Amino acid sequence: MKADRFLTIVEAYGADPARWPEAEREAALAYVAETGAAAEALLAEARALDAGLAGHAAPLPDAAAFTRAFAGAEAALATAPRRQGFRRPGLGWAGFRLDRFRLASGAGLMAAACAGVMFGATLTDRLTADAQADAVLYQSTLSGIDDTEVLG
Amino acid sequence: MAAIADPDQELVTRVARGDPEAMRALVAAKLPRMMALAGRLLGDPVEAEDVAQETLLRAWKQAPRWAPGKARFDTWLHRVALNLCYDRLRRRREIATDAVPEQVDEGAGPDRGLLARDVGLRVDAALQRLPGRQREAIVLCHYQELGNIEAAGLMGVSVEALESLLSRGRRALRAALADLGPGAEGEGR
Repeated sequence: MKADRFLTIVEAYGADPARWPEAEREAALAYVAETGAAAEALLAEARALDAGLAGHAAPLPDAAAFTRAFAGAEAALATAPRRQGFRRPGLGWAGFRLDRFRLASGAGLMAAACAGVMFGATLTDRLTADAQADAVLYQSTLSGIDDTEVLG
Repeated sequence: MAAIADPDQELVTRVARGDPEAMRALVAAKLPRMMALAGRLLGDPVEAEDVAQETLLRAWKQAPRWAPGKARFDTWLHRVALNLCYDRLRRRREIATDAVPEQVDEGAGPDRGLLARDVGLRVDAALQRLPGRQREAIVLCHYQELGNIEAAGLMGVSVEALESLLSRGRRALRAALADLGPGAEGEGR
């Protein structure tokens, strides 16, 4: 590896070889071993910035965020049987009744929204969350981006 | 073209079969990752969660049609999240006015110690001041740890252009954070 390429790699990707381009990692490490102090000086400068960047804490999901994500996923999986022959996970007879209602009406989203009224207090919080997430999912399809590029 | 190895493939396949445990495993792995991506690009944790949640919802919707070998599931998630972030950044520009307050960089005053929180705030301010494409390149390659080809593909640029964005971004960050030094405390990657 030539000196200018090594410099480009360190300036772009920093000091950690794990972030270097995979195809050039071995050659770059060999360059470090060959050139010693010169390469180490470049790496030390990059390492200082890497250490600073490591001080940035990204926002992390709290327990409520995970709960919302699980509910959204379960709702999405629950709507899948109508389209893909999926089994609705874990709803038992209530899920069966809801699916029947959806099939009969031919309007699954409306059915999900109306289900809360129809079954009233017999519905669990979970099913309600499913219906809400269904609506969110429907909204996401309306403003959908082109997801098909990498899909079959 | 050779099929692309995907470490998430087994989980995605199980999700497509309706396996709730696989779904939970993917949520546990990907929600924090998508939230970190959106958080660093948007600089707003509430918007970041919205983007992360919507990204995952789209993933569950698409899971049954997922074609293994065409792209990594994680790359596809990044593409969806990036597009959602672009939408939000575009909307911000559209409603921006001359009265938008500038972000204040407090710098390292004489009485400011290098507490981890200080470092984090300084880095955050420096990241948010970067031009958008430079910030995107830094976030994808440094924080999300995507490979250069993957990141360049997501950004729609050549690897050379990506490296230029990264170099310019890192130079700007180095200048902004010059006083932090190598001993700065903070979270790991």
